[in-house]
Amino acid sequence: MPTDTKRVRGPEVSQSPSLLLCRPPVVLPSQGPRADGRQRDQVDVRPVFVRCGLVSQAKGSAYIEAGNTKLMCCVYGPRETERKDETDMKCGRLTTDMRFAPFSCPERGSWIQGSQDKDFSLMLHESLQPAVCLHKYPRSQIEVNVMVLENSGSVLAHAITCASLALADAGIEMYDLVLGCSIRQDGASCVVDPSYMEENYCSSASSENQGGLTVAFLPSLNQISGLQSDGEMTEEILTAGVRTCIEGCYKLYPVIQQALAKAVRKAAPPPSES
Amino acid sequence: MATVQVSEAEKVYILHGIRDDLRVDGRGCEDYRHMEIETDVVSNTDGSAKVTLGHTAVLVGIKADIGKPRPLVPNEGYLEFFVDCSANATPEFEGRGGEELGTELSNTLYKVFNNKHSVDLKSLCICPGEHCWVLYVDVLLLQCDGNLYDAISIAIKAALFNTKIPRVRISTDEEGGKEIELSDDPYDCMRLNVENVPCIVTLCKVGHRHVVDATLQEKACSVASLIISVTHKGTVTCTRKVGGGSLDPESIFEMTEAGKRVGKALHAPLMKVLQQEEHLGKKKQKVGFLG
Repeated sequence: MPTDTKRVRGPEVSQSPSLLLCRPPVVLPSQGPRADGRQRDQVDVRPVFVRCGLVSQAKGSAYIEAGNTKLMCCVYGPRETERKDETDMKCGRLTTDMRFAPFSCPERGSWIQGSQDKDFSLMLHESLQPAVCLHKYPRSQIEVNVMVLENSGSVLAHAITCASLALADAGIEMYDLVLGCSIRQDGASCVVDPSYMEENYCSSASSENQGGLTVAFLPSLNQISGLQSDGEMTEEILTAGVRTCIEGCYKLYPVIQQALAKAVRKAAPPPSES
Repeated sequence: MATVQVSEAEKVYILHGIRDDLRVDGRGCEDYRHMEIETDVVSNTDGSAKVTLGHTAVLVGIKADIGKPRPLVPNEGYLEFFVDCSANATPEFEGRGGEELGTELSNTLYKVFNNKHSVDLKSLCICPGEHCWVLYVDVLLLQCDGNLYDAISIAIKAALFNTKIPRVRISTDEEGGKEIELSDDPYDCMRLNVENVPCIVTLCKVGHRHVVDATLQEKACSVASLIISVTHKGTVTCTRKVGGGSLDPESIFEMTEAGKRVGKALHAPLMKVLQQEEHLGKKKQKVGFLG
């Protein structure tokens, strides 16, 4: 278990006050509209705000906001890599790192990367690797760092979108943008782009089909580059969920393309017609 | 994962064979290699199992400790997974080399068991809010020849079947404090119901077809694999795409269906074999590690 040896911490037994609440645990209704007014069983993703090129020191960067989920991503590279394995001679290496700020979730997290953070970083790596033309960057290393500022649900999906935007902003050659979308299956209905409450508090008492699914998709190539699900679902529900996520990605595609075009135009304005 | 170098000619050979449903060792695309399972191999544990799948060997030991339940779920126990890639398996795992692979395997196991039905956690509760059984599931990789997820999940299911948790009695002493007493009889124990424990099936995409239980050579020819964990009823508890390539949505649907079929068919023979071994009791022939 990794321990923090650099900080002097208070007593180990500090707990979040939310554990001492007298209210019964929140039970979300499983029918009717969702808490923020969106519809169930429809591809109703939260409107996103994206901007590229916010961090001046990074080669490429992007910031995404979807509802209350806020993340930013920076890309550094291609840089020379120290390890001279044989594999590095032929194609580049992509390293990803995803971290949560301790204040991002309702319960305080720690600065040391837990196993969940490492798991997210690995998923991000698997989702981005098929899209980047690594064979064009031999002997180099491209670093992608995602920092989650506020976790309000569906973090991995938005991190994938943000990271691919940042890679595009950095000018790294890619086959296509990677977009992420996630759903939460709740009994018989599914909610697309769940918020933190919807992800963590299982609502209905029904024991069938409770789970979450995240899909990373390359829209113009029609390829799935990342897939992760947990919970319990039947195979038909899983297949339907994957189709729903793909639709969600198609819905998001024009918005991301527009943001990227705007950033490119701002960086290098087209010659004025005169 | 231990890797082998495969030449281009070998890759083409393997690809063409799989296209015609014939693999290098003569299996079909959905056949497993020869599997050997033995439980109760380590006497210091509460439950243990060793699984050999082809040349992959995995040893799982389960120890039950008494601990404090998690704050959000005071009337349930929990499981903790840890996978150790022994340097015996390949020299790549020496020192901290196997740590990354071990973390990936442990994280996937947490996801696979992250639901209400796989293991009855309420039966692991001793005293709500104060004491519960914590099952530490420790997996040791002895030999690595591809298909680690499948071997590990079968070994965990066998070890959980074999686990004997001692019965405890709570008594209150004079000041009102609670005392836990373990029963004296070593055979007075509680067994777990492993009917709903899922098994993981790994499907590797090779060319246009998928194969189950890929060897290291076949893995070197595939760009992406899908891991799917299936219970005996056919419910899917976890799926995950691994590898650096991308998959068509149609392939994913095909592979999910095949994985569900293969996984569902794995449980019945496994339970039968485990129950047969249990019935042999003292007459069981111990094969051990050198058989």
